[in-house]
Amino acid sequence: MNGLQATFRGACAQAWANRRGFWFEITVMILNDLVWVVFWVLFFHRVGTVRGWNTNRILMLQAILTTGGGIVLGVFANARNIGRLAADGELDAALALPVPTLAYILVRKIQALNLGDTIFGVVLFVAIGHPSPSRVAMFLGGSAIAATVLTGFLVLIGSSSFFVGRNEGSELGFHAIVMFGSYPIDVFTGAGRAMLYSVVPAAFIAAVPARLVDSFDPGLAAGAAAAAVVFATLGVVAFNLGLRRYTSGNVWKL
Amino acid sequence: MTIEVSELSKAFVTGRKARRKTVDAVRDISFSVAAGERVAFIGPNGAGKSTSIKMLTGILHPSAGTISVLGLVPWQQRRQLAMRIGTLFGQRSQLWFELTPRQSFRMLGAIFGLSDQHLVRRVDELGELLDAGHLWDTPVRSQSLGQRMRCELAACMLHEPEILFLDEPTIGLDLLGKQLFRDLIVRLNQQRNTTIFLTSHDVADIESVAERVIVINHGEVIYDDSVEAMRRSLFATKYVDVGLAHPAEAPSLVGVTIAQHSPTMLRLVVDTEAQSIGTVVNAVLSSLPVADLSIADPPLESVIASIYSTARTP
Amino acid sequence: MNLRILRTAFGTATRRALREPGSFFVATGFYVAVVAMVGTLWRVAAASHHGTLAGYTAVGLFWYIAASESATMAISLRLVEEIGDDIVSGAIAVEMLRPVSVVAVRIAAEFGRAVPKLISCILAGTAVSLVVVGPPRNVGAALLSAISLVLAILCNIAAQHAFAGIAFWIRDARSTWFLYQKFVFVLGGMLLPIQILPTALEQIARALPFTAMAYAPARLAAGFFEPELLLVQSAWLVVLIGVAAATFQAGERRLQVVGG
Repeated sequence: MNGLQATFRGACAQAWANRRGFWFEITVMILNDLVWVVFWVLFFHRVGTVRGWNTNRILMLQAILTTGGGIVLGVFANARNIGRLAADGELDAALALPVPTLAYILVRKIQALNLGDTIFGVVLFVAIGHPSPSRVAMFLGGSAIAATVLTGFLVLIGSSSFFVGRNEGSELGFHAIVMFGSYPIDVFTGAGRAMLYSVVPAAFIAAVPARLVDSFDPGLAAGAAAAAVVFATLGVVAFNLGLRRYTSGNVWKL
Repeated sequence: MTIEVSELSKAFVTGRKARRKTVDAVRDISFSVAAGERVAFIGPNGAGKSTSIKMLTGILHPSAGTISVLGLVPWQQRRQLAMRIGTLFGQRSQLWFELTPRQSFRMLGAIFGLSDQHLVRRVDELGELLDAGHLWDTPVRSQSLGQRMRCELAACMLHEPEILFLDEPTIGLDLLGKQLFRDLIVRLNQQRNTTIFLTSHDVADIESVAERVIVINHGEVIYDDSVEAMRRSLFATKYVDVGLAHPAEAPSLVGVTIAQHSPTMLRLVVDTEAQSIGTVVNAVLSSLPVADLSIADPPLESVIASIYSTARTP
Repeated sequence: MNLRILRTAFGTATRRALREPGSFFVATGFYVAVVAMVGTLWRVAAASHHGTLAGYTAVGLFWYIAASESATMAISLRLVEEIGDDIVSGAIAVEMLRPVSVVAVRIAAEFGRAVPKLISCILAGTAVSLVVVGPPRNVGAALLSAISLVLAILCNIAAQHAFAGIAFWIRDARSTWFLYQKFVFVLGGMLLPIQILPTALEQIARALPFTAMAYAPARLAAGFFEPELLLVQSAWLVVLIGVAAATFQAGERRLQVVGG
């Protein structure tokens, strides 16, 4: 058992320590996600299709988004907290251990609530995704890409705290990417659409991987994989550059 | 030398844009520590103690100067160094809050690459040494602060570190807890020859743990000598506070000055080189209407003030 | 009830909210992003139906979303959870020692906290809507919508207190807000006008208080001049405050029994 595996097991044990709360949170999240399904069914029932999107496509998008997003916010729960940890000097304990800091932080905390998302996403896929071996493979690959892009993006914006101090930009970025990710991306055109493929890569955490499950396109797959590599790299580089400027909460905030 | 620090500085930039300014937390400090020494690194709040200890352990990158700890450069070889040192930072926990210490030790053991048998033996050993074996199976959540500190100390010693860095380890503990903790640290040092480097702003920590004192103030080293020497020159003072049942004259004794005198309260400053505390207390009890009595160390600020008023770094 | 205490609670909370420009920025930024996304979705949907959907025009739908999102986002996202935490941690017991109604003071303070965000959402929403789809169809109705938004927020705060009061009994405050929020989203008309719902569901929605929290101001902003909506909201407000007060009173007795 290496150090990171051990840390991950610790995080699991900690989340599991309050079993009743664990299942309660998961149930609540599943109900929450179910409401979105209800919303989309009602929407497309009334509206028909919107720029090529229908109930099936949006549910596939939801399946990928909740599976991938659940992995990030549930298993790598600290991905969302990087900004706060950096600004408040809470990385000391991690830095005192002989482990790679970012990886350690990411696996140190599990959020039961968001594991509900992943459970929901997988069940939704099984229910509506017509699983065949190749579609299952694409679903898993797509979810992994979604999770990687989201983690990289969250670490990247969270690391801004190393440079400019505590800021609300990362919280805004988090809400924005998840929100944009959960809607049919094609209602936007032009600059708005381009933005969702670059600055706020919401397209890659749901719409693009969902498209790959339904109609595989090698070019699109390569683009999605490239986005995962780019955002993962940006996240790691920004975090490690930031660590050099880490102040450990020693500076009195004026 | 185990620790070598030379011309070390750290500047923080704070504030945004127009209000941006640079704060020199540590300025040009140099010192070295030999293996097996017990060093207290002291100074008032904001003096730069924590910043220094965090540079020594590789958590912060210095702005200038060099550090060598066990022959390693901390901020470049942080992980290698972490395998050989133990760090305990105030109330930043290494333990999982909801789990028992024994569970946390298992994770930490894996992080430090200890084999299972080795870990089991080590945890038993630490339980005995820290008189804490009975705590290993109680979740941290339901332990008192003093108990938690002992578990934290065990956590940072699992891998038998050569140096222990302790940042304000007694903060928040009660009087008894503090004394217990101090005894432990000394025992560790004596049995294992572990080098101890501790920061504190509590005068008693220094007196009962350290052999050597380095005083830092406004980011500069202003004093570096043995505790023995410091005791002779600076810790020779005790405060005797007497609560008076009714107004009374203060006794006149050699080596005792009156710092404060009101109808209900009297503060005597005793030079323990010239007069024993016992004699003073006896005199007080026999000649005054005592309602309350306490003996205290002078605060660190007044120790530092007297360092300034006597001599600079020897 | 001493009005001065309520005024003080309101004023203090407003000033404190204004001192946190960061969270202000996040709330407004997110608001604009959501309105851009959801508003555009509905506009495109209406356009594919010859310009109207369940009686709403594309322009009206955009304004609808701008108003319904203002109504929900001006309030702290996790209000239910925050109140529940105070109950579970016992902080509420301290407030209960004061000789004023806990619920009244808390509602006044929450309203004070929401007002600056509401104003900035209304300004930002108006600006975005004007730029994207142009002026509202019925200016009179749009002005009524501003009043309706205030009532919507008060209803919402009162209802969240009633809902959070459950924490007195189940001692677990977390997560409950998710479900509450979802009721407002779907049955309250925040994400979609209730006329879009199947008829049976629409009837249920009309009978529940959630429409007072999003649908009412949004319907007005969409250009339907229906002043009676304000009356419905006012009635719900009275009921919800009553329920919240009753919940807290019962909870208080329970605290005394448990000795919490």
